[in-house]
Amino acid sequence: MVNFGLLYMEIATAALGLMLLAWGLLVPKRERQGIAYLTAAGLLALLALAWCTRGAAGTVLPGYTIDLYSIYFKSLFLTAAFLATICSFDYVAKMGFNQGEYYALLVFATLGMMVLATSGELITLYLGLELMAITFYILVAYRLDDPKSAEAGIKYLLLGALSSAILLYGFSLIYGTCGSTVLREIGKRISSGQADFALLLGLIFVIAGFSFKVTAVPFHMWAPDVYEGAPTPITAFLSVGSKAAAFAALIRILFLGFDNQAFLWLPLVTVLSVLSMVLGNLVAIPQKNVKRLLAYSSVAQGGYLLLGIVSASLLGIGAILYYAMIYVFANMGAFMAATAFYNNDRSDEIKDYAGLARRAPLVAAVMLFSVASLAGIPPLAGFPGKLYLFSSVVARDYSYLWLALLGLLMSAVSVYYYLQIVKAMYTGNPAPQKGALQVSRGMEVAMLLVLGILFFLGIYPTPLTNYAFKAGETLFMP
Amino acid sequence: MITLNHYVALSALLFCIGLLGALGKRNAIAILMGIELMLNAVNINLVAFNRFLQPSQVVGQVFALFIILVAAAEVAVGLALVINIYRRRLDTNIEDLNWLKW
Amino acid sequence: MLQQYAIIGIFLLGAVGTAVGSIVVNWLVRPKPEPKGDKRATYECGLETIGPTWVQFKARYFLYALVFLLFDVETIFLYPWAVGFQELGFLAFVEMMIFIGILALGLWYAWKEEGLKWL
Repeated sequence: MVNFGLLYMEIATAALGLMLLAWGLLVPKRERQGIAYLTAAGLLALLALAWCTRGAAGTVLPGYTIDLYSIYFKSLFLTAAFLATICSFDYVAKMGFNQGEYYALLVFATLGMMVLATSGELITLYLGLELMAITFYILVAYRLDDPKSAEAGIKYLLLGALSSAILLYGFSLIYGTCGSTVLREIGKRISSGQADFALLLGLIFVIAGFSFKVTAVPFHMWAPDVYEGAPTPITAFLSVGSKAAAFAALIRILFLGFDNQAFLWLPLVTVLSVLSMVLGNLVAIPQKNVKRLLAYSSVAQGGYLLLGIVSASLLGIGAILYYAMIYVFANMGAFMAATAFYNNDRSDEIKDYAGLARRAPLVAAVMLFSVASLAGIPPLAGFPGKLYLFSSVVARDYSYLWLALLGLLMSAVSVYYYLQIVKAMYTGNPAPQKGALQVSRGMEVAMLLVLGILFFLGIYPTPLTNYAFKAGETLFMP
Repeated sequence: MITLNHYVALSALLFCIGLLGALGKRNAIAILMGIELMLNAVNINLVAFNRFLQPSQVVGQVFALFIILVAAAEVAVGLALVINIYRRRLDTNIEDLNWLKW
Repeated sequence: MLQQYAIIGIFLLGAVGTAVGSIVVNWLVRPKPEPKGDKRATYECGLETIGPTWVQFKARYFLYALVFLLFDVETIFLYPWAVGFQELGFLAFVEMMIFIGILALGLWYAWKEEGLKWL
């Protein structure tokens, strides 16, 4: 018997999405501003629900288990979606297009991420992945007035569909050799038999498919174009949500299904991680567009997160969970500032940020502290995150020390290009005709919230790390 | 007798043809068709594995059904986007999509 | 093994034979004088086309096609459910009703946003 009660989070999210869609149809087009507030309130309520029921655990179906690991990720997605919604208020209202669908799609993307992060079975996992991906194709291409947006959408769709076809071929080979689509079952059958060629090929295809989603080099080509073309709040949500969801699923697959094939995937993941850290950081240096710069920085952040998988330990998984949550706030903060600036000046070029500190001190401060957190400068929240990630690799084996050192070196490089934005904001002179930035009240509150969290978790990270490590532990329980 | 190996070989061949089409073609619709071939290769694999290894279960067949459905949704979105771009510039050649640096 | 391929061969021969045979018989029994007048028109009955036929269709027509495609493919889930209706019981019925309800919401949406309006 299926235990539907345990699916409350998924059902509630789906209901919220459908309700928003229906609401958008019932309300006349001009009066749809309320939908944005309704979405924000709904997501906040879901977040509260996830927090209150974090003790819930149990098996819905053999491959679909609710545990703290999945609830942790659900809270992460809901937080990201909530911040993206607040970020969208002005942006979408100024665009004046159908708001009902926009927010409904945002919620459906969140639902896809939840299913992806919770599922321990290949079919459900694929459905979650595609629900997330297809809604993002639409959202990326949402700005009908801007041809760049449509172009970004079609590029994302073609490459995304290609990557999911490769992923599926891997799934089919795994199903063929193991005779099951449930990850724990696959893990049992592999440990009893010997590794054969088709299985390894399948695993390589699966890693390639997920590398695309986590924007690991050399599967990152789409990221800068899509990040630049998409509406800015969607870029923010895409960069944190879809990446975290793909990491959640990849960790489940590798550690539940293929734990004793580590000799194969460990070198692969190591190479991906090194390439992402080096290329992402170096290519970010010459960028002139803030969104493209943040895209390459997000490629590099994916590389740091992969280090946690390389460590193949509870410490590493916990570090990924912690860092993914910090990454939500830091990246969302940076994109919020970018959105606020775009709403006023219609530009994403770094040189136009000149003198922003004088025109809007709060926006500039949020940008400053967000990128400082991304770079891992103490006392911001990114610092303990990177500390955990790097030390988890060293803790595994001292021969991995070079990886941690490389990560440190590349973080130092990243400081350089983040400083370019900061330099423009704080030392440049604003164009004389430009006045103060108009920022809505909701956005200001969200920005202050992000700033507060970045500082609080940087100085006192223990509550979140405890939660993250407890969530990581449940993954390894039978 | 046609064995499992025949099906797997057919599927691998079809997958390679699709991949070649998806990577080699320059027209967005042709690329989508290449991707469809790859998905059909996956379906052949799943149904064949199901039939030969676990005839009593239907897991592979159900997986194939879901893939067909999701592929249709993906293509619908893809075609809508292609139409949107085509209306703007009367062209579906992806090499001309150069408003963003590729 | 060979026998199985022979069946395919016979089937293939039959298929090709039917097509070729009907054309040949047509050619044999038809009246022989050269056709002229209306006989040579594109459509023997029906309207003549006006202007060049390689015109662009409105992009809206593709929209109907896409909406149709989606609803058509969604019915894929109704078949296995209908086949196993007796064994699946009441719970599956409720689940399927929810599924159809969501589909109906989609249809309502397409309707309201004028995706179905014929031009």
